[in-house]
Amino acid sequence: MEDLSVVVSILYQFGTNATFLLLCALGLIVILGMMNIINLAHGELMMMGAYTASLAYQVGIPFPIAVVLSFFVVGVFGAILERLVVRRFYGRELGALVVTWGISLLLSQGTFLVLGPFLPSIPIPGGAIDVGQYSLSVYWLILIAVSVAAVLGLAWLYNRTEFGLHARATMQNAEMARALGVNTDRIYMLTFSLGAGLAGFSGALLAPTASIMPFMGQQFVAPAFITVVVGGASNVIAGAVGSSVLLSLVRTPVGFYLGAFLGLVALLLAALVIIRLMPNGVSAYFQRWSDRRSRPTL
Amino acid sequence: MKRLLRLATGPEDIGRSPGFWVAFAVLVVYLFASPLWLNEFEAYNVSFYLLNLPMALGLCLLWGYCGVLSFGQVAYFGIAGYVYGIIAGNLVGTGWGPIAGELGGLAACVVVSAIFGYFVFYARVQAWIVPILTLVLTLLLETFLGQTAGYQWRVGNVQLGGYNGMTGIPSFQIGNLVFYGYAFYYFVLVAVVLCYFGCRMVVNSHFGKVMLAIREDPLRAELLGYDIRARQLGVFVLASVLAGISGLFYVQWGNYITPSQVGLVSAALPVIWVAVGGRTSLLAVAISTYALNWVNYSLSSAGNQYALVIIGALLVVVMLFFPRGIVVMLAETGFRGGVAKLRDTLRRG
Repeated sequence: MEDLSVVVSILYQFGTNATFLLLCALGLIVILGMMNIINLAHGELMMMGAYTASLAYQVGIPFPIAVVLSFFVVGVFGAILERLVVRRFYGRELGALVVTWGISLLLSQGTFLVLGPFLPSIPIPGGAIDVGQYSLSVYWLILIAVSVAAVLGLAWLYNRTEFGLHARATMQNAEMARALGVNTDRIYMLTFSLGAGLAGFSGALLAPTASIMPFMGQQFVAPAFITVVVGGASNVIAGAVGSSVLLSLVRTPVGFYLGAFLGLVALLLAALVIIRLMPNGVSAYFQRWSDRRSRPTL
Repeated sequence: MKRLLRLATGPEDIGRSPGFWVAFAVLVVYLFASPLWLNEFEAYNVSFYLLNLPMALGLCLLWGYCGVLSFGQVAYFGIAGYVYGIIAGNLVGTGWGPIAGELGGLAACVVVSAIFGYFVFYARVQAWIVPILTLVLTLLLETFLGQTAGYQWRVGNVQLGGYNGMTGIPSFQIGNLVFYGYAFYYFVLVAVVLCYFGCRMVVNSHFGKVMLAIREDPLRAELLGYDIRARQLGVFVLASVLAGISGLFYVQWGNYITPSQVGLVSAALPVIWVAVGGRTSLLAVAISTYALNWVNYSLSSAGNQYALVIIGALLVVVMLFFPRGIVVMLAETGFRGGVAKLRDTLRRG
């Protein structure tokens, strides 16, 4: 029994770390995979999600509905952002990085000026369950389940729907997809909106575990970017899952023994080593492997 | 001497006509003479506007001329500043401490940027990864320095000081000659002019031509036999040293440094200076850096909380409507042409 509770506790630690990284990076990697641009306003979109959830929670909307609401609010905002600004930067990756950075500064300081330095936080739903001498938070267990569901949902969206088919075609060869009648413009807008919505969704989910401030996005920035760099852009789902699992293997022991900050440093060092070995990220590795497997044997 | 002159007046920057050089000479003479009518406090402020120029020029080389964007120049700014503070602070009273501190600070920049750059450039990563990882480096450095409050975080006699920062950093000094007031102003002015000419010579040299080739087409440059990884690493290290020079000037100017100097907001500033001026011209970047520092200093000393919103909006507007930079566009088309071009962009967009 004693050994079992240790195992459960270790699994729980890995699970929460991987979930945190996955939630931080999911929206970012969806946009990256499609357009090869990084949305530097990602942290601020997560902040918007947390704000939406907090405001909705205060007027009496139940938390789960507030989370769904955040997804749609931030998703619509993302669509507007894409139409007005991001659309002009396709094919200019570095320009897109700089302009989204400007947007992130505008959003965080603008929120500060309009809504003040903080909002009341949301209490963590669910209690704790005891396993041996360890206690596990029910909310984090729910988050693990939700993030697994989100990944499965994305996999379904990309592999089983018409949107997914068109999106994968656009990702592979935008010009050819256009020639075959795919409205790539619309795909880009929807993907950006989906990525932004996922950022808002993650922000709302993580809101109870953080203090809700205009500059809260900054704390998600470093883990999200490292996860994305390690994941790469070749395959959205494999990248996000593979790299968050891989990085949580690094972060959990280091963070446990040496503290949260050194856990983050270990993430950066691990990312440097991993890109040195796999320049296009975990997902390219996975993609090659699955291509080889699906090739008919001669 | 003649070769150096030819390098300095080569084709890779705006401002090559005799008229320009006359104006440039007048400007330099004006700056050298201005302590005649500026009081010591005003001269101190002007040295603040000037001291950020090396960092901006370094980013201009890296982004505009070599095609590698870095969001982490302030990390080297901070590293140089803190290392200088530690070394010079421990050697107070020896007279040579500040020089040892400067060398140590720049050496630290070279070491960190070389290690970091090795992993990034030799992995041949895609273009968007470099800015992301440099930004992460900066954020980690800020987090690290922020938690160094308390007595256990000290090196020799110098405390790192957490979010309150490191205070009492010695001014620059050679032997018994201490640089403050007018002397510091001249020290910064000479160094900045030298940095500008140095960068201009670099971009017009053979090395600079290869740099431009890498920006235009890395694959073709590589097929012509150049080791683009080593070249990119070289420019990255050079830019980090230039950022380090700015960091040294900063701590010698204000005698303190805080972790917010390597924070997210500070990291945005060099990118804005370069984007507003126009990343393909060293001169344009120098002009915009000076002007924006002056504006920002005036705004923030008035306690204006809109400064960050203005910076963000400026960045978005410039990237949308003046993608090549305001100064470069004005220089190429003149003021009237610039207005016509802007109207054209607005109509199309």
